[in-house]
Amino acid sequence: MTTSRWQSLESRLVAASVVFALLVAFVFAVLILSVSQLRSATAREARAKDRTVAALELEKLVLDMETGARGLVITGRERLLQPWTTARRQLPHGLAVFKERFADSPQRRQAETLDRLITAYVRDYSVPLVDLARHQPAAARIPLATVEGKHRIDAIRARFTALLDAENRFAATSAASARSRSQSAITGAIAGLAMSALLIVGFGVYLARAIARPLREAAAGASLLAEGDLSTRLAQSGPGEVGDLTRSFNDMAQKLQSNRLELEEQNERLRESERLKAELVSIVSHELRTPLSSILGFTELLLRRTVDEPTRRSYLEIVVAQSQRLATLLNDFLDAQQAEEGQLHLAEEPIDMAAILREQTRVFVGQSDRHEIRLDLDEPLPMRGDSSRMAQVVANLLSNAIKYSPQGGLVEVAGERAAGDVRIRVRDHGLGIPEDEQPRIFTKFFRGGAAASGIAGTGLGLAISREIVEAHGGGIGFTSTPGSGSTFWLELPADANGDAAENTATKGDT
Amino acid sequence: MKRSLVPALAALCAALLFPGSSGSSTTLKGPGIIRITSRETNLTRVDTGALGRSPGDMEISRVLLYNTRIRQRPIGHGQLVCIYVGDNLRNCDGTFVLPAGKLVVSGGLVYRSLYDLAVIGGTGLYSNVRGTLIVTRVRQKAPPGDVLVFRLVVS
Repeated sequence: MTTSRWQSLESRLVAASVVFALLVAFVFAVLILSVSQLRSATAREARAKDRTVAALELEKLVLDMETGARGLVITGRERLLQPWTTARRQLPHGLAVFKERFADSPQRRQAETLDRLITAYVRDYSVPLVDLARHQPAAARIPLATVEGKHRIDAIRARFTALLDAENRFAATSAASARSRSQSAITGAIAGLAMSALLIVGFGVYLARAIARPLREAAAGASLLAEGDLSTRLAQSGPGEVGDLTRSFNDMAQKLQSNRLELEEQNERLRESERLKAELVSIVSHELRTPLSSILGFTELLLRRTVDEPTRRSYLEIVVAQSQRLATLLNDFLDAQQAEEGQLHLAEEPIDMAAILREQTRVFVGQSDRHEIRLDLDEPLPMRGDSSRMAQVVANLLSNAIKYSPQGGLVEVAGERAAGDVRIRVRDHGLGIPEDEQPRIFTKFFRGGAAASGIAGTGLGLAISREIVEAHGGGIGFTSTPGSGSTFWLELPADANGDAAENTATKGDT
Repeated sequence: MKRSLVPALAALCAALLFPGSSGSSTTLKGPGIIRITSRETNLTRVDTGALGRSPGDMEISRVLLYNTRIRQRPIGHGQLVCIYVGDNLRNCDGTFVLPAGKLVVSGGLVYRSLYDLAVIGGTGLYSNVRGTLIVTRVRQKAPPGDVLVFRLVVS
């Protein structure tokens, strides 16, 4: 009934929440990393642009110096030296910015070379040239000055070109990296959102299937139960506690159904008991009233009238017979009561069923002159049991065979030993038992259509016989064809010792 | 940056000027530039022929050589002997004695403030070189000072 730790719904929900949280955390980590890398790449690109600007500004200062110096050298006019003057004043700051910008750059060594070249250009060439142009203009105009200046400026410009190319490549790489990181961040975000959405949808579907649907089915099942359909069962589905719920529901429904069946059986038994009581009252009132009426009537006649001796004797014989009938009825009631209470006491002694059959056959031959009783026996038929009770059973079967053959006829009694059993058959050719009554003929007080046919009896004989036979470890049964008669049979365990007792007893009609 | 540049230049100059200290080979293996400064210690003019400047006059200057990035004391010396050939034009031959060897220069010049000469050879480390020498006067007052830039190639 209980579920293991990882089968429980609670654990699954917690695990799913943890997985979802981890996924969201992972997505955010990827996003943060991507954004961080994007910012870093953007910053690198910005620094590359700053370096390019610093390099261009420095190159412009150098070119201004060259232009100014060349103007002074060629024209000798101080006014044209203005760009040189301004540039030289700004050059230290420009160099400082340039070096600072390239301090952490991959092109740092090229920048250092440029710094050295520019410094040398200014110190070794430009400043001396301007000085020379001021004091010895002709000397400043010699081709060497121009060639040397061009040589130095070309070297510086070539270095600047290489540096800017490298910076441009670096900036392009940084920009590409930034775009790539940006794309990665967007892709990661989209993928993460998609995965989160899928996970949420999947989780929702799981909850709907694992919880909502079983609960809905349980609610529907509960409604059916409430409406009285106790055969309702839920499919064994759902994880953990939901599975426990469906199992508990099914157990509850099973219990309710079995309880209802039990109650119905109890009701049926109560109804049967009521019916038996009613039949008992009816039978008692009928079966007792008839002999009592006879006894009362004949005893009153004897008291009121003076009758001759033969008549008086005849009356008294009737009174005795009806009294014996009453005694038999009371004994049957007592036996039925004892059997029902499990207090049917039986003796266990060696008996010979053949002797009992002969004795009872002799009794019943004398009671009816319209019936022929034919006896066919194996000798002996030893068994262990209560001879008087077995005689009671045989007498009941013979009595029934005669009663239910009102037109008279042959009654066959047979006894034999077979396969360790004593088998007895009592067959008549009378009314037979209607098929719809056959299942109930061993029920107490059940008489079927016998009462309506005027056949006397209490409906206890066969019930008592079955109790007695089964108490001896045997069985009783019958075959019957309505209108053709019935055959009742007994199967009793034979006594292996084979010594049959002579102890026999007779029993009256039931 | 200055801290990193100075040792680099010093190393370059040291390699060119003091090859023994760096353990390099005895001759230059590739092109190189030597930038040093000079301070004139003596200038002698020999007036020959007609009085005043005239062809055949001689001008002899002696200098001390410095590389102040390496040390403040002179690293060598040099002398330049020029013979006037007309007007201001003079033909000069000179020798600059450096720790790694001598550099021999030759050529014509007009102005002492800015001139160039051919490096025609050398000794020691510079035994296989040639190239140019550019001289720029950076100090006019006495004693005059020049910046000497040797651009050398292996011959």
